[in-house]
Amino acid sequence: MSTVDNPRERLEFLQGTLEVLILRSLQVGPNHAYGITLSLERQSGDEFVVDNGSLYPAVQRLLQRDWIAAQWKISPNGRRAKYYRLTPAGRRQLVAATSRWQRFVEAMGRILAPEG
Amino acid sequence: MREWWAKLRRLLAGRRGSARDLAAEIDAEIDAQLEFEIQENIARGMPADGARAAALRHIGNRTQIQERARDAWGFPSFETIAQDLRYGLRGIRRSPGFSLVIVLTLALGIGANTAIFSVVNAVLLRPLPYPAADRLVWLGESDPKTEGISVTWVNYQHWRNQNHSFEDMAGFHTAHFTLTGRGEPLLTRAGVVTHGFFGLVGAHPLLGRIFTAADDQPGAAPTAVLDYRFWIGKLGADPAILGATLALNGKPFEVVGVLPPGLHFFEQSVDFYLPLHQIEGEVVDRSRHGSMRLLARLKPGVTLRAAVADLDLIMQRLAQSDPGPESQHRASAVFFTEYSTGDIRPTLLILLGAVGLVLIIACANVASLVLARSTARTREIAIRAAIGAGRARLVKQLLTENLLLAALGGAAGGLLARWGSDALIAVGPRDIPRLTEATFDWRVLLFAAAITILTGLFTGIAPVFAAGKADLVSALKDSSRSATGRGGQRSRSVLVVAEIALTLVLAFAAGLLLRNLIAAQTADPGFVPDHVLALELVLPSASYKSPPAIAGFYDTLKRDLHALPGVTAVGAVSCPPSAGDCGDWFYSVLDQPAPQPAEVPIALFNTADRDYFGAMHIPLREGRAFNDADRPAAPRVAIVNETFARKWWPKESAVGRRIKSGGPYREGPTYQIVGVAGNVSQMGLGTEPYPEIYLPLSQSPSEAMVVMVRAAGAASSLAPAVRRRVTAIDRNLPIQSLQPFAQTVAASLAQRRFSALLLALFAALAMLLAAVGIYGLLNYWVRVREDEIAIRMALGAPRPSILRWAGWQALRLSLAGVAVGMLSGWAVSRWLENLVFGVTHNFTTLAAAAVAVIAIAMVAAAIPVRRATQVDVVDKLHRA
Repeated sequence: MSTVDNPRERLEFLQGTLEVLILRSLQVGPNHAYGITLSLERQSGDEFVVDNGSLYPAVQRLLQRDWIAAQWKISPNGRRAKYYRLTPAGRRQLVAATSRWQRFVEAMGRILAPEG
Repeated sequence: MREWWAKLRRLLAGRRGSARDLAAEIDAEIDAQLEFEIQENIARGMPADGARAAALRHIGNRTQIQERARDAWGFPSFETIAQDLRYGLRGIRRSPGFSLVIVLTLALGIGANTAIFSVVNAVLLRPLPYPAADRLVWLGESDPKTEGISVTWVNYQHWRNQNHSFEDMAGFHTAHFTLTGRGEPLLTRAGVVTHGFFGLVGAHPLLGRIFTAADDQPGAAPTAVLDYRFWIGKLGADPAILGATLALNGKPFEVVGVLPPGLHFFEQSVDFYLPLHQIEGEVVDRSRHGSMRLLARLKPGVTLRAAVADLDLIMQRLAQSDPGPESQHRASAVFFTEYSTGDIRPTLLILLGAVGLVLIIACANVASLVLARSTARTREIAIRAAIGAGRARLVKQLLTENLLLAALGGAAGGLLARWGSDALIAVGPRDIPRLTEATFDWRVLLFAAAITILTGLFTGIAPVFAAGKADLVSALKDSSRSATGRGGQRSRSVLVVAEIALTLVLAFAAGLLLRNLIAAQTADPGFVPDHVLALELVLPSASYKSPPAIAGFYDTLKRDLHALPGVTAVGAVSCPPSAGDCGDWFYSVLDQPAPQPAEVPIALFNTADRDYFGAMHIPLREGRAFNDADRPAAPRVAIVNETFARKWWPKESAVGRRIKSGGPYREGPTYQIVGVAGNVSQMGLGTEPYPEIYLPLSQSPSEAMVVMVRAAGAASSLAPAVRRRVTAIDRNLPIQSLQPFAQTVAASLAQRRFSALLLALFAALAMLLAAVGIYGLLNYWVRVREDEIAIRMALGAPRPSILRWAGWQALRLSLAGVAVGMLSGWAVSRWLENLVFGVTHNFTTLAAAAVAVIAIAMVAAAIPVRRATQVDVVDKLHRA
């Protein structure tokens, strides 16, 4: 883990967070891998860089846990692409993970915030 | 765990080989993405080849993506495991004291379990050394009241020829023969078997041959097959023995074969085998019983129930075609494995259960210790979680650490078990079959490995739950230890309560068995065994042919023994107390209505001489003992025991009544009751009395008698003189046994003593473990609250109130454990009652066990509770 981040550098993901973000991006509807990349980069205000070397394994892990399901479909512009969608279990997991994350952030915030 | 399941599914479905499929799939996906990106780049106005190059760049190293995606489906690499192991070892080394306590506790639990299991394995589980031993069946006849009656020759023939369920069937029993003409006369035991027997037990001759159908015929030349031990031990392994003759009961038998070592079919070893049909001769009466039982092998796929139904059908047909007093007889069958271990099975299962409880207690202790430590490590764990160690990884590391500890405990336990197993063999009663064969075979090792892994997982789960629940915020923020691990403290309390409850159950069970044992030892056996030397003789029928010859021998012997200095009384009996059931038979009472054929009562028929009751100090409740008037020609008389008399004449006198041997439907003499003797513990000490009929030796002579010699001093000192007297009368007569009768009687309790003492040992072990557990928990409780105690004391709380506060914690836990333990103990005692004769659940024992457990708990709590009152207030407050 790098300790001091250059604010100009884009952020890397903490372990396990990418999965949650993928789930979140699929909440609005099914999407393919590249679509997920684009939506995460856009939504983070280009703070996150989504590396395919992380994205594809993360997608596989989510498939293993039955949190997402995959299907080849034709995209709106007429191309074949593999679409992922949230399963009910994935939806539940997203809710749980979101609330855990918020607690974590609050805790980090409380500690890291200057005393007084 | 879910992804492990998915991975396993994939592995099992054989899709592991299709890693290529996954790669191709991802390849296609990346291709699709590439197309998207190229289109986008072109839409942004890039030239075609530039757009493609930019897209390829953005996608990155395709092979690496595929590999990493595929790795997601693989199992953790060796490197991760090695790293976890390294962390685990580091953790163990960092706290050697803690680790030692855990390893020792687990070693005790695993060792004790493995030792007991090695015995269970040898006695109950390991297949008997016969071909297709799992299909071997022991067969007897049954009537509506009794199972396992001997099978008559005629029925055996019908069963053998008409059944559809068995591959083969053979008859067997044992008999005594006196061997003469080879040095000292020797009383030998023969296995009397039909010729199919050797095939069933898979015995092949070492020398010569085994019996053929031609040997096993009435009128065939008498032949014998020698057991290996007899050939080696008594015949000097003479290779020229084939063709030689053995004089058995005065008759020559030609030795046709010698068996290899290792055939231990009969409970007591036999010296040689004789062909049954040749010995017994032809029998045509279907209800003529010897003592033959059958060994049979089921055809593959035939159930025991179906086989019995098959035989029952034959018996029903016979009841029509050849009716008789035993028309109601049917077949009874048990698997031979079960038959040969029937008595010891419950004992071993109780011990296995008890030692299992000890292991659970040990596990609870270890889990509690691990939990305490992981509570102390909450901050460490929380920090590691915060900087990105996945929960799964943390859990794996903690589990690895526990499995390592368990493995160390298992290894130490294995050593303990070896030693314990040897000790069990050394002290175990001789009558447990195959006990000496208890060794560490693969089953025992597998068992040890399995419980080791299970304990590792079980004790690992507690801290894992704690780690999972570790509240990051409070762990990181709070500096005070008292606020952390309240949950851990609660889990540990639950564990300690469970430990106390289990300990109480064990203590209660041990108490019940000990009580049962003591009751048996102190119960009035109905006679006085001390100062009695028991001389067991079997007169060879070849030399003592007639009843007068037998009676004459015993008269002479008794007179001579009585003349010995130091002898106060001499009496003889054929079936001495504690010898069990030497032979029961049907009877009827003449002044009562005749019972239905299936309802004919049975009683033990015994033979005693006139001095037996006096010599053994067996009281006569009514009438007289046998006397000189009971000559062979005089009217036949009998003495019955109290149970018999009370069963038929609860209010009136039994003397003068008449009973008939054989019951109303069989031939048999009639006897007049002349006396009622007190009950003796016929089946062993502390057993229920059994209806018994004594016949006088003068009227019903028996070759096999036990002569009881009552001495003024120590019984054993008479032995040499007694031996000399016997030889003086008949120097060809072998002495079966000669030992103080008190020893014989005590030996009948060997098995019960064995199980009671082992159970007591386990209970003690459980108490020790529970004490350690309580001590550990309270010690921690006090340590965590030292600040709080200091503040309370600073605010003026007197020491006694601190003492009460801490003491109450200990007492509360103990009481909760005792309450749970009493309830479950009560349930367990009902189970024990069914399993062990004479055990009665009893509240005093339960209360005593509860008091003992509370006392142990209080002693264990004393040190930490005292420490609570010794807190240095000033020091604590300064630091706070």
